[in-house]
Amino acid sequence: MDIRLKFVQTVQAVLAKAGRGGSLPGSIALKMDPHFIEKFVMPKTVVLVTGTNGKTTTQNLIADSLREAGLKTINNHRGDNLNIGIASLLAANSDSSFRVQADAAVVEVDELTVYRQFRNLHPSVMVVNNFFRDQLDRAGEMETIIRKIQEVTEDFEGDLVLNGDDPNVCRIADSAKKARIHFYSVAKQSSSKTVTDEASEGKFCPRCGKRLVYDYYQYSHIGRFHCDECGFGKINPEVVIENIDYENQTFMYDGREYHNFLNTIYSAYNCAATLCVMKVLGLNPANADETFRTMVLNEGRNEVFELSKPCVINLIKNPTGSNETMKFILAQPGRKNICILLNDNDQDGHDVSWIWDAHFERLNVPEVNKIVCSGLRAYDIALRLKYEGLEDRVVVIEDAKEAVRWLDEQDLESHIMATYTALHSTRAILRKEAAAHGS
Amino acid sequence: MDLKILWMYHDLMDLYGDKGNTQVLKIRCEKRGIDVTLDTCTIGETRDIRDYDLFFMGGGADNEQGLIYQDLLSRRDNIAQAMEAGTAFLLICGGYQLFGRYYRDQDGNTIDGLGFFDYYTESSDRDHRCIGNIALETTMDGETFKAVGFENHGGQTKNVASPFGKVLSGHGNQYRSGFEGFMNEQVVATYMHGPLLPKNPKIADKIIARALKRRYGDVTLAPLDDTLENNAREVMLKRLGVL
Repeated sequence: MDIRLKFVQTVQAVLAKAGRGGSLPGSIALKMDPHFIEKFVMPKTVVLVTGTNGKTTTQNLIADSLREAGLKTINNHRGDNLNIGIASLLAANSDSSFRVQADAAVVEVDELTVYRQFRNLHPSVMVVNNFFRDQLDRAGEMETIIRKIQEVTEDFEGDLVLNGDDPNVCRIADSAKKARIHFYSVAKQSSSKTVTDEASEGKFCPRCGKRLVYDYYQYSHIGRFHCDECGFGKINPEVVIENIDYENQTFMYDGREYHNFLNTIYSAYNCAATLCVMKVLGLNPANADETFRTMVLNEGRNEVFELSKPCVINLIKNPTGSNETMKFILAQPGRKNICILLNDNDQDGHDVSWIWDAHFERLNVPEVNKIVCSGLRAYDIALRLKYEGLEDRVVVIEDAKEAVRWLDEQDLESHIMATYTALHSTRAILRKEAAAHGS
Repeated sequence: MDLKILWMYHDLMDLYGDKGNTQVLKIRCEKRGIDVTLDTCTIGETRDIRDYDLFFMGGGADNEQGLIYQDLLSRRDNIAQAMEAGTAFLLICGGYQLFGRYYRDQDGNTIDGLGFFDYYTESSDRDHRCIGNIALETTMDGETFKAVGFENHGGQTKNVASPFGKVLSGHGNQYRSGFEGFMNEQVVATYMHGPLLPKNPKIADKIIARALKRRYGDVTLAPLDDTLENNAREVMLKRLGVL
C-alpha cells in the first residue's frame, strides 16, 4: 500500500461526500510525487484520444459505447486532459496498490502533452481525430505538434485509429510502422464542397511536397484528398459513414442507420471515430448507436439556458471551431442575437489574432439582429466585425454579467460563443439568471 | 483614384490572421472612395510587381517559409525594379526576414534572403522565443504615435539600420531588445501580428498614403471614425502600462 495514494484517495472520498470532484487530489498527488501517473497498473484496454477539436465529445462517445457493450470503463469525462486531471481520474479508480479497477480506460490527452502521457498510460488504442490551428502562442507551430506525435507512435505496436480525411492525421500512418493502422472517413455528402475558403492546412503533400488534390471538402481542410505525385492519401478506410440525413438526423454505416447526435458534419466524424474503435475492439456497433441517441453534450457545448427566451452557449477556441459553431447557429431558424465573449487568459491563448482567420462575415445575414461583443478583448472582436460591415449591429459590453443581462432583456433567442475562461464564468452567470426566471 | 495591392503568397504566408491587414487597407480605402484591386500571387504564378502600388507579405511557419523562398528569390529583379519605381512595401514576420540578408533556422540551415537590406536573422533557442503582446512608439512620416501588436517569433533580427519603432513593452527584433522592425520611406517591416493594422489605423493610413504616392503624389486622406480602433488599442496600452 502506498501512503501517498491512500492520502489522495481519502481526500477524494471526503470531497465526493461533500459533492465535489475536481482537480485538487490530482494536484496534491503530483506535488508529492511527480511520477505518480507512471505507477498505475492500467487495464488491458486503454484508449487514448487526442487531436485539436472534439476530443472531449469523442472520448465520451467511446467510453459510453464501451459501457453499453458491458465493459467497466473509466474516462476523464469533463475533458481534464492534463497531468492533474489524469492523475485524479486514475487515483479515484484504483485500489491501494495502484491497480486501476476497470476493464477499460478512455483517456483524453492534450495534444501538446501526448509524448509524456503516452509512456505513462501504455495505450492499446490511440485515436487521433484532427489537427487545426489552435493557440499558436502556447502550442507553437502545428508542424511541431505533429512531429512529436509521430515520434511517440514510431514504436507503438497497438491499434492506431486515424481520421483518414485529414492529411496531417493521415501522415502519422507513414511513421508508425509497427502499429496496426485503421482509418475512418465520411463519404461525400450533399453538404460537401469542391472549393473552400476555410482550409488553412492540407495544401501540400507531407511526403513529397507537391500540392494536394481535393475531390471534395467536408469542412475546413477535412475531406478526400490525394497526391498525384506519390499517391499519399489513397487509403482504404475501415469505417465509412455515408448518407448523412440532416432532416432526420441520421447517417448510414455498414448498411445500418445511426443517429447523428448533433446533426453536423463534425459530429459525424466523432461518430466515425467511435465506430472505428468499436470495430477494432471487436464490439457491437449497435452499442455505439445507443450512445449516439442518448448523448448529453458536455457543459458549455450547445447548452441551453432558459432566460426570457432560450440562450444557447458554445465554446469557441480556434477558427475551425468558430466556423462550425457559426454554421450551427445560423442553421437554427428565426432572428437571433449573438454574443461573442473573447478572453485572452492563459487557457484561452494570449494571441487573439485567430479571430481574423475565422469567417465572422457569415454573421452578416438578416437573421442576426445584434452582436454583443464582450470579454477582456471585447473591442478586438468588435473591430473584427466592423471590418465585415457589421458595425451597425455591434454592441460592446465588456462585462459578461451586463452582456448576459442585456441579452435577457431582449425579446429574442440568443447564442453565446465564448472562449474557454469566459465559458465557465458565463455559465455561472447564466445559471443565476435562468434561476431568477424559474422562480 | 485607385490602389493596386499585391498580396504575395496569400495561401502560404497567412499565419496569425495577417490577412486582416488586407481587409483593413481595402475597407479604409473604399470608405474614402478609393477603388482597390487586391491581387494575390503564389508559387509559380506570374505577376509584374511594378504594376502594384503596395506589396504585402505576411508571416508563415518555418515549413511554408522553406517552400516559398526560392520562388521569392527568383523574383528579386522584379521586386528591385518595383522598389525603384516607388511601390510601397508592408512586410510582416517572415516577409520581413526574407528581405534581409539571410535567415538561419534552429538546425543551422541558412535560407538566403533577398538582401535588399543589411539586417539578418538567426533562430534562437526555445527560451528566447519572443512571444506576447507588444507596444511600441514609432515616428512615421513625421508623426509620432504608439502602436500595439502581438509578437511570436524565434528569429532574432540583427544589424537593423533604421527600426520601425522603439519598444515600450515586449521584445522587438531580439529577445528583450529595445527596438522593433525595420522602416524606410517605402518599407514597413515588422514582427507585429495581431494583425497589425486593425488596431493601428494610423499605420494603415500612412501605408495607404505611401502607396498612393507613386501615381498620385502627396494625398490627404479624409479622417474616419476610429472609435473602436482606438478603444481596442487603448485597452492593450493600458494593460501594458504604457498608455
